[in-house]
Amino acid sequence: GAALSYGQQQPQQQQQQQPLAANQSFNQSMTSDPNNVSQHSIQQQPQPNTPMPLYPKASYGSTLSMNASIDGMANSFSHLGVGTPIMQPIVNQAISLIGAPPAPHEIHAPPPPIRLSPQAACTMSPHSNCSPTYKRATINVVPQTAALLSKSKTPFALYIAPFRGPEPGEPEIPVINSNTIVRCRRCRTYINPYVQFLDRGQRWKCNLCYFPNDVPEAFDFDSATQSYIDRWQRPELNHAVVEYVAPSEYMLRPPQPPLFLFILDVSYAAIQCGMLHAACHIIKNSLDRIPNADNRTLVGFITVDSALHFYNLNANLSEPQMLVVGDLDDVFLPLPEDLLVNLTECKAQITSLLDKLPAMHQNTQNVGNALGPALQAAYQLASPIGGKIIVLQTSLPNLQAGALKPRDDKNRLDASLLQPTSAFYKQFAVDCSRTQVSVDMFLFAQGTGIDVATLCCAPRFTAGNTYLYPGWSAAKKDDAEKLAQELSHFLGRPIALEAVLRVRASRGLRMSVYHGNFFVRSTDLLALPNVNPDNTYAIEVAIDETIQSSVVCFQTALLHTTAYGERRIRVITLALPVTTNLADIFHAADPGALVNLLARKAVERAVESKLEDARDAIINKCIDILGVYKSVQGNNATAATQLQCPVNLKLFPLLCLGLIKHPALRIHPLLTVDQRAAAMELLRVGQMEPILNQLHPAFYPLHRILLETQDLGTVVDGAVKLPPYPLPSTSERLERNGVYVLFDGVGMYLWVSRHADPNLLAGLFGNNIQSYDQVPFGSIVMQPTGHAYAERALNLINTWRARALQNSTIWPKVHVVKEDADPVLRTWTLGLLIEDRAEYAPSFPQFLAQLREKVAAYS
Amino acid sequence: MSQFEAVEDSEGVRLSWNMWPSSRVDAARMVVPVAALYTPLKERQDRPPVLYEPVVCRPPCKGVLNPFCQFDPRAKLWICPFCLQRNPFPPHYADISPHNLPAELMPHYTTIEYTLARPVPTPPIFLFVVDTCLDDNDLVALKNTLLGSLAVIPQHALVGFISFGTMTQVHELAAVDAPKAYVFRGSKDYSSKQIQEMLGLAPVSGTPAAGANARAPNAAGPGPRSAMRFLMPLAQAEFNLTSIIENLQRDPWPVPQGKRPARCTGVATAVAVSLLESAFPNTGARIMLFLGGACTVGPGLVVSQELKDPIRSHHDIEKDHAKYHKKALKFYEALAARVAANAHTVDLFAGCLDQVGFHEMRHLPGYTGGVMVLADSFNTHIFKQSFLKLFAKDAHDQLQMGFNATLEVVTSKELKVSGLIGDASSAQRKAANVGETEIGLGGTSAWKFGTVTPRTSVAVYFEMTNNPAQATPVPPGSRGLIQFLTHYQHSSGQQRLRVTTVARHIVDGAAPDIPHAFDQEAAAVLMARIAVYKAELDDAPDVLRWLDRMLIRLCQRFAQYRKDDASSFQLADNFSIYPQFMFHLRRSQFLTVFNNSPDETAFYRHVFNMEDCNNSLIMIQPPLMAYTFNQDPMPVLLDSVSVKPDVILLLDTFFHILIHHGSTIAEWRNAKYHEQESYANFKQLLEAPVADARALLADRFPVPRYVDCDQNSSQARFLLAKLNPSTTYTSGSQYGQPQGQAIFTDDVSLQVFMEHLKKLAVSGAS
Ligand SMILES: [Zn+2]
Ligand SMILES: [Zn+2]
Repeated sequence: GAALSYGQQQPQQQQQQQPLAANQSFNQSMTSDPNNVSQHSIQQQPQPNTPMPLYPKASYGSTLSMNASIDGMANSFSHLGVGTPIMQPIVNQAISLIGAPPAPHEIHAPPPPIRLSPQAACTMSPHSNCSPTYKRATINVVPQTAALLSKSKTPFALYIAPFRGPEPGEPEIPVINSNTIVRCRRCRTYINPYVQFLDRGQRWKCNLCYFPNDVPEAFDFDSATQSYIDRWQRPELNHAVVEYVAPSEYMLRPPQPPLFLFILDVSYAAIQCGMLHAACHIIKNSLDRIPNADNRTLVGFITVDSALHFYNLNANLSEPQMLVVGDLDDVFLPLPEDLLVNLTECKAQITSLLDKLPAMHQNTQNVGNALGPALQAAYQLASPIGGKIIVLQTSLPNLQAGALKPRDDKNRLDASLLQPTSAFYKQFAVDCSRTQVSVDMFLFAQGTGIDVATLCCAPRFTAGNTYLYPGWSAAKKDDAEKLAQELSHFLGRPIALEAVLRVRASRGLRMSVYHGNFFVRSTDLLALPNVNPDNTYAIEVAIDETIQSSVVCFQTALLHTTAYGERRIRVITLALPVTTNLADIFHAADPGALVNLLARKAVERAVESKLEDARDAIINKCIDILGVYKSVQGNNATAATQLQCPVNLKLFPLLCLGLIKHPALRIHPLLTVDQRAAAMELLRVGQMEPILNQLHPAFYPLHRILLETQDLGTVVDGAVKLPPYPLPSTSERLERNGVYVLFDGVGMYLWVSRHADPNLLAGLFGNNIQSYDQVPFGSIVMQPTGHAYAERALNLINTWRARALQNSTIWPKVHVVKEDADPVLRTWTLGLLIEDRAEYAPSFPQFLAQLREKVAAYS
Repeated sequence: MSQFEAVEDSEGVRLSWNMWPSSRVDAARMVVPVAALYTPLKERQDRPPVLYEPVVCRPPCKGVLNPFCQFDPRAKLWICPFCLQRNPFPPHYADISPHNLPAELMPHYTTIEYTLARPVPTPPIFLFVVDTCLDDNDLVALKNTLLGSLAVIPQHALVGFISFGTMTQVHELAAVDAPKAYVFRGSKDYSSKQIQEMLGLAPVSGTPAAGANARAPNAAGPGPRSAMRFLMPLAQAEFNLTSIIENLQRDPWPVPQGKRPARCTGVATAVAVSLLESAFPNTGARIMLFLGGACTVGPGLVVSQELKDPIRSHHDIEKDHAKYHKKALKFYEALAARVAANAHTVDLFAGCLDQVGFHEMRHLPGYTGGVMVLADSFNTHIFKQSFLKLFAKDAHDQLQMGFNATLEVVTSKELKVSGLIGDASSAQRKAANVGETEIGLGGTSAWKFGTVTPRTSVAVYFEMTNNPAQATPVPPGSRGLIQFLTHYQHSSGQQRLRVTTVARHIVDGAAPDIPHAFDQEAAAVLMARIAVYKAELDDAPDVLRWLDRMLIRLCQRFAQYRKDDASSFQLADNFSIYPQFMFHLRRSQFLTVFNNSPDETAFYRHVFNMEDCNNSLIMIQPPLMAYTFNQDPMPVLLDSVSVKPDVILLLDTFFHILIHHGSTIAEWRNAKYHEQESYANFKQLLEAPVADARALLADRFPVPRYVDCDQNSSQARFLLAKLNPSTTYTSGSQYGQPQGQAIFTDDVSLQVFMEHLKKLAVSGAS
């Protein structure tokens, strides 16, 4: 990280490398020749008294990442011959944190490589080990003993994104459609690239339990072509991630169709804020996006105020019929059929209903809301099939089952406010989970709040998601746009149904604690009624006995039904080397996976005890890791004054600081309990890139990008050219004439300084904006002004937003923050600069100083 | 026309006795109580209602100024004949003189109708409650009939629509964006409050009540306004209602093999009752239930869903084998009491070959003046025409029905009120003239009717008050007075008061005039009503014994005979056919039920309870007309001897109109003689009873079942069941070949009955 375009070293470094054209993009440099191994010293440090650097025009967009160099190193080992150890040596490099400005663009760098030699796998396939897209570990080595792990004080856990698709550049997941699925007789592991073949290939040794299994004849025979095939070409032995088309023994019943059952709040508040109108419009326009590849998808609607309303959508009716059920304590379905209808066959009726619904309820005065009974009714409808219950809720439910009282949140830091006040939603979720029903909540909190902490239990235990829209109003264009983008994306998201997820590991290892949105059906089986690409899981791994092998495997099997009615098993196999060396643990640690796990644990800690405890736990873990690492490094002359850190973990302390300042854990007078609870849900879902954005908001000098470069933000070859790296997250980098973008994964903040170039402002906000004073502030919908500045800025913003939408179903709003207007927004925005000092938390240098002090106590 | 009928025609009143004894003991010795059969809204074309308010005696007396009042035109005073108080005439009666009298003081205005100054705010309400567990034919027929009724229901009337099957749906008529219905689970016993909450007519309990944000601004309170979504003027609702009826589908819930459909009649009725109760209490409203079968789920269940369990019979009920009977009866009776208290009405229309539960539900119309129509299907004339007939209009194009009526009876001091028998409920008004003995609905001097029609007739029973111990000789010319005051909502929206004042001489109990004042027809009907009322409560044999005892005592008191000499027994003309009425009454379906289902019994009794004297007599002793060659049609004895091969009989049981062709006639007709010109007289003979039958059909409600049959055909049993079995299969052996038609019955004949009666009457034993 030291070799970054941070300060004045940048030009020097530049000279050491291949000259890059000034307009060469950051992306290109990232993918530059791996042989271009950096020769510069990793220990190289910036000078402590570097003056505030400018954003040098000449150097912008031309740098090289630390990871590129490490990857290069790893690759250089891959040419070792037969007989070399399975594990490759781990690069033991340390960095001193104090005084070294962090390199924020490395936040999203890949984890340290898994140092397994190619001989570890039975084929030489480049895809034999798992890509971090699907699964990564907090440590890319496995300590041989529990004692060693414990000594390291480093948590050992897996991060699993079971339903992500391949990232660009990664191979498609091979689909195996064969009558024989080869699995270990003893432990049911699927055959994978890390098994060993014995007895001239007649048997294979399971790499998890070491049982020697017979290789079935069919393994070498293609039933489709009726010919023998080359075993070594089989995808199972070449790919860490494969998908089997499951034969009937993997089905308890025929694959069920996708089912989308909407529960729409139609109480007074929902009408007043325009939610119903907007939701109907968006759903109607998204009907073609809903997964429906083979025209089996079912759709239904329930609306709720103080009564439940069902809709007969029979295609033969002249118009949809509304059926009102006021019996809330004994919920029943008013019709035996036609409440859930085939999306393709009844599209006209569904469209008609969505057109009429807002008018049907527009004059309501009803302030009652019986969400609980509505859920019970939805359950009755959906449970025979399984599927998705999508709740769009504006009012706090106040009737019958699941009724909630407004929370007294005078003391917003009271952690008990984060605990559910009703057991209904969790119990409901457990029932849903059993019947393959998933719940998603879109919560449009008004006024007194909507008790996210309680309602989110329903999504949490059914593998669903919770989305909060505080103070949402259709009258606000930005609110309307956000909902349209998110709900529409949500409905079109890939989906898998009636899934279970199990992780098996080599002997001696055990999955001990699970984090994420799911319900544990039996000790090691996660029930995921629906699977979506956003939800990820963290699983803590315990070492029960000393590991006897040099490689261990973690195999995840996701048994699911596709949206087009196929039963499939996605198998994801990760192999890691085993180590007896404490230092290896630190040098193979993955800061992203680590902080992802810490975030999830912090959320649980905060709810169980106190926010303060959660923050302390993060700091303590950071101290522990660095402390133990210090002791591993041994007596070092600089140890007393320096804070040494494995180079791969150099961003870890900064991410920890970001976690402490995350809205889920931070102290902020205007942060409502609902907002905090929703922020916690984001951490619980845990998609890697969005989480890292949240922990370390990206900070870009828009004025320099627009004024000093010509190409950033323009579309080249169909892609928007992005700025290569963000600024360090500190207000020290704010210039008096600057315009900045701050992006925290959830919101976009356009910081406008008082002395910003009026031409730039006019370009960005329109010709009618003559001066800083005329710049609007608050959240806005950015419009093209006809000027290239606005076009380029929008290109950038929308590219980042599209990425956020893709990764986390969040469409960040754009807030214009002026230096001297709207102090609340201003304070909030400055709070995103996590290297700065906050009232309740230190600046990054202060934080490092504290760490050093504590770590010094380690011997 | 008898003198009694003439009075009935003008006043709507027929009395068992047209002269009253002065003492209670004497009255008791007359066996048949002093009683009146009264038709409050009897149509009177010649005397239209007056457009002013009545002059009423001062409270608590409710007496209204009438032709029997003494008045002093100079002092401007009148004396109330009921309480004997003096009342000043109101100021605008200042010009009163013997030559300038208001209508109510003129002798022929003993019945007068006032139009009161306070109009009724709400037009009449018709709430349809429609069973959807029907086969397609029935559903289509019912839908068409309902749609047809929209053309005859007044445009300003409020209409509502509820459908039911497995569940009950209350259809919103105001829905503009999409059809909307409120659904109630069919298996649940909802309280009235719950129903009102679920319909949005009452605030939902549990909704936050107070607080600035709790209630939406301008929130409409519950009440009639919110009920207007369900009950709207036909003119406004017609489009939506038509569309709702047209789109009505069979109950969508699957019916498993071997099961009856789930039919929640009980919940549907409760919902209808609660809807009207909350929004429109004490204003005219009819809940019209259309039933395609018996209730099989929820409260009011009459039969289980298992087809293998048959619906209860009279035998089951008698032996206490009817599992659901008592509970259902109790459920519907409680509902009926509520309907009655709200002054609403329930009508029952059955379109089903099997029973639908009229027996259990009978109080719904019974307490409220509703109708019962029993048809085999909704695709029958009986149903279609009966239903549309309900909406018949009078000469002023007004519906021939009044709503929310109260009948109050005021009496002079010589009489007290014992009770009323009819399709009404007690208004619980305990005035001073309420007597000690109770007959029918007693303990009150006023009764409520949800609906009254010009044919609605009630029986009111009285007792005489004079105690013989203090009795002084009755002064000559003494009179007792009864005043019937009927307040009701006229379908035009006026509030009206019909006043009928009846005055009869009071004489010594032993006075010879008394027997002459006996109206045997009215007495038979009045006694029959008591008998039927008792039959609802007691075992049938007890009722028959009571009836026999009363008959014997009457004969003992009023017949001429020598003790223990049956041959000397003789009855005066005005008593002579009374025993015959009793004979037929004993055999009638009202008291002898085992040939009928409980539903049929409920139906027959209900109709019997609301008809006037003539129609009641038809039901007791059906008239039989004979048509043959060379003779005018003539009434013949209701006797098996009347059945002859060359005679066509026309029997009118009120419920059935039956044409019976003697065997010879049938043969000729089958040979198509009537189609030959030379046999035009035969053609005329065949047509004459048909034309007469058509005239009878036109006048009836419900439309009778029309039977056209030949001698010895199976349909002929309807006739034979009514005939006096003077010639039975047993009588043949005694007298050789019987004349007329032999009837297979063990019943005694009229002749045998009379012999027994004479013997018992003349014996000193009883
Ligand atoms: Zn194994
Ligand atoms: Zn008086």
